Amino acid sequence: MLTYIVRRIFYSVPVLVIASFLVFWGIRTTYDPTAKLRTSRDAARVIAQRRHELGLDKSIVSQWWTWFTSFLHGNLGVSDRTNGDVWKMITHALWPSLQLMFFGIGFALVLAIAVGVYSAVKQYSVGDYLFTGVSYIGIAMPTFLFGLLAIALVVTLPVTWFHLNQPILYSVGLHSTGQSGFNLDYLRHLALPVLTLTVQSVAVWSRFQRASMLDVLNADYVRTARAKGVPKRKVIFGHAFRNALIPLVTVVALDSAFLVGGLVITEQIFSIGGMGRLFLEALSGGDAPVLLAWFLVVAVFVIVFNLIADLMYSVLDPRIRVS
Amino acid sequence: MSLVRRTPLRLVAVALAAALALAACGSSSKGGGSNTASTGSTVASGNVPQGGKLTIGAEQEPDCMDWIGTCAGSSWGYWMAETTTIPFAFLASGSGGDLKNTPGPVLAGAPTVTQSPVETITYKINPDAHWSDNVPITCDDFAYTADQQQNGKDIYDRTGYVDLQPVTCTDPKTVVVKYKPGKTFASFELLFSGTVGILPSHILKGKDRNALMKDGYTWSGGPWVEKWNKTDSIVLTPNANYWGPKPKLDQVTFKILPDTAAEFQAYRSGQVQMIYPQPQLDVVAAIGQGLPNSNTLYNANTGAAEALWINNAKPPFDNLVVRQALGYAIDRDAIVNRLFGGLGVKTAVNSLNPPVVKDYSDPNAWANYKLDLAKVTSLMTGDGWAKGSDGVWAKGGQKASFTINSTTSNKRRELTETIVQQQLQAAGFDMKIANQKAGDLFGKTLPAGDYQVGLFANQLTSLIPGECNLFCSENIPTAANGNSGNNWYRVSIKALDPLLRSVDQNLDDATRRSDAAKADDVMATNQVTLPLDPLPDIVIWNKNVVGPVGDNAIMGPWWNLAEWGVKS
Repeated sequence: MLTYIVRRIFYSVPVLVIASFLVFWGIRTTYDPTAKLRTSRDAARVIAQRRHELGLDKSIVSQWWTWFTSFLHGNLGVSDRTNGDVWKMITHALWPSLQLMFFGIGFALVLAIAVGVYSAVKQYSVGDYLFTGVSYIGIAMPTFLFGLLAIALVVTLPVTWFHLNQPILYSVGLHSTGQSGFNLDYLRHLALPVLTLTVQSVAVWSRFQRASMLDVLNADYVRTARAKGVPKRKVIFGHAFRNALIPLVTVVALDSAFLVGGLVITEQIFSIGGMGRLFLEALSGGDAPVLLAWFLVVAVFVIVFNLIADLMYSVLDPRIRVS
Repeated sequence: MSLVRRTPLRLVAVALAAALALAACGSSSKGGGSNTASTGSTVASGNVPQGGKLTIGAEQEPDCMDWIGTCAGSSWGYWMAETTTIPFAFLASGSGGDLKNTPGPVLAGAPTVTQSPVETITYKINPDAHWSDNVPITCDDFAYTADQQQNGKDIYDRTGYVDLQPVTCTDPKTVVVKYKPGKTFASFELLFSGTVGILPSHILKGKDRNALMKDGYTWSGGPWVEKWNKTDSIVLTPNANYWGPKPKLDQVTFKILPDTAAEFQAYRSGQVQMIYPQPQLDVVAAIGQGLPNSNTLYNANTGAAEALWINNAKPPFDNLVVRQALGYAIDRDAIVNRLFGGLGVKTAVNSLNPPVVKDYSDPNAWANYKLDLAKVTSLMTGDGWAKGSDGVWAKGGQKASFTINSTTSNKRRELTETIVQQQLQAAGFDMKIANQKAGDLFGKTLPAGDYQVGLFANQLTSLIPGECNLFCSENIPTAANGNSGNNWYRVSIKALDPLLRSVDQNLDDATRRSDAAKADDVMATNQVTLPLDPLPDIVIWNKNVVGPVGDNAIMGPWWNLAEWGVKS
């Protein structure tokens, strides 16, 4: 198993290197870090000096190598916008985003599996139809619309109708001012952004789990187990459930990396200063060093989640590990 | 995201997204011409209770808190944390359009100004004034600030400081500032004011100012001490050692709410008690839906003015007649009414000087430019233009066709462009729309002169008039001036230059006012740009928030936050 993990990590290195170059090339050709100097006094000299300082007068490969080796040493440069250390900005923004992703994936996974298994076992029941309908609404619902509707219906309306002093669930940040840690205040802030971030994932994953579970439940070995009189609960959870998880693992691992995209909208709506908002601010502010670091971190995310998917395969299906 | 190019002395082109100097005024129309109507305001007053906490929604977060550094371009940072923690020699005090430069509490009174043999300003510092660590505010602090403004690294704007002699201290509480022989600066109120203020020498001298300030600071020379929880909030608590009247509130939190729709929901649900939204269409619509238990305040007497900025060097607008015809082809009042009629703002501005500096303008300079298609026809045909089969004016193979550039993702501007496009089509002009990211528009396109017409706002960040930076011919970006000029509109009118220079340099205020008005008239006659709307300011707050709540078009609504309170 260890060899397998090491091999997969080894395979990831060239992917990361290539991804870093493509990101660097894309951003360097899109953003000119000296653009804001064009209105300064003695602009031509100032720009030329700055371009030299930044190494922009060298080849793109040379620039990339300098940046990449600095990245490997934990030096991501200085933000064009804030003069701040990019590494600190990324790590600061990463923490709230990781919280959202951790609770989001956990919540979505549990709910999707529960709904998917129920729908498969109770196929064509009222509950199955209900969950199917809700799932399609969830799939069709844009994240920003769901978020704003959730705030209006769950946060604002109860306050207005019942004249509450404060909302039951909050829509601003992850903590009230002066609060910190894992407590009720945190959960009241966390609920809606997590729901918004994962509503589409829950919908898609539950459909996936339902289909996968139905396939397994109709497999010969399950039919044989039933014929031999194995109790239904044991057939479902002992024989079918584990195998039905394998396809879902792929989808979950890949979708989880793409949740970063959902963070951009969710964090904006719920005023959370995470990776999503950092991306928007860097994009609008033409902050190339932050964008570079952001994309690379996301690339690492994608690679890590793919790795997790592969590892989960091997845990769930020993044949993959052996082969 | 907002992106204000601040230049305290001058009107500056602004990428609106960021930084509307949302300022509001009292209940009635004040000053200016017909373009400065304001409506619907109620200012809470009464006995202000002691104690309590207030949470305010803030649409933007500052990029840094090194207020004089290049990274501190955000007006929101200035409004929230700088005006509350930094002492200023002069404050643009007041509400709405009636702002006045008045000496700040750090001074013992108005400075004395002499003009001979050189311009000399002598400040007397309030004997009680001291920093939050109880170190007195002294002449050293003024000297340090002036030195940083002149010689410091990475300074955002050195206007007013470049020609200073070194500050001299006759005693710790007396500051003598002299200009070099032959140099004058009419707007001396800008010194140690505007977005600069006075910085503590005993903390910063000999150290890296940017490193010590950019992420926030623990000291204060104002009534409040700030704590910046990056990406989340800025929290103000009273400066226990403030020498003046102490704040009534125990804590004020500015919660960062970058999304307008979410900002309104946070306000409606009581998570924030005050918001200061940009005048976008959805904001006007949200206000129209009603905000219970709220005071709302709209003001058109602002420090901002949106305009169609014409490149006077690009065909077809290198032709005065075409520029004038453009002015008669657009119904500006109809545009303003469509955008802000819901707030009671229905008429266009008629000067490029924002309403707060109306005394240094001719508020009716552009009043003659009203929709008049007969006049358009008369002007164009008189200059040899004729309409082609497509209904567009043409002359010598050149069509009256152009492209307008503005900032992307701004629905208000997109609507403005659509209306202008329709109106111009009826008048025989062909207008295409090509919007850009703010960074590209203000960083590349405009400075390079690679445009025909731009749509964006001017914003004033101090109560100091002056447009030479924008319209004097020597400020057209060229290789000769290192492409450093801000006259992106390539305006070059011999009669205009001395008038605008006078506004910046003349020490006689009456002459400055007169010359500023004349300059407006010259620019209107030459139709160098076409002013549109004043970008009204909007302040919304819960009725539990009491005190002299209002707005200040320059310093923002929170300049007198120490006097506010909340009812339990």
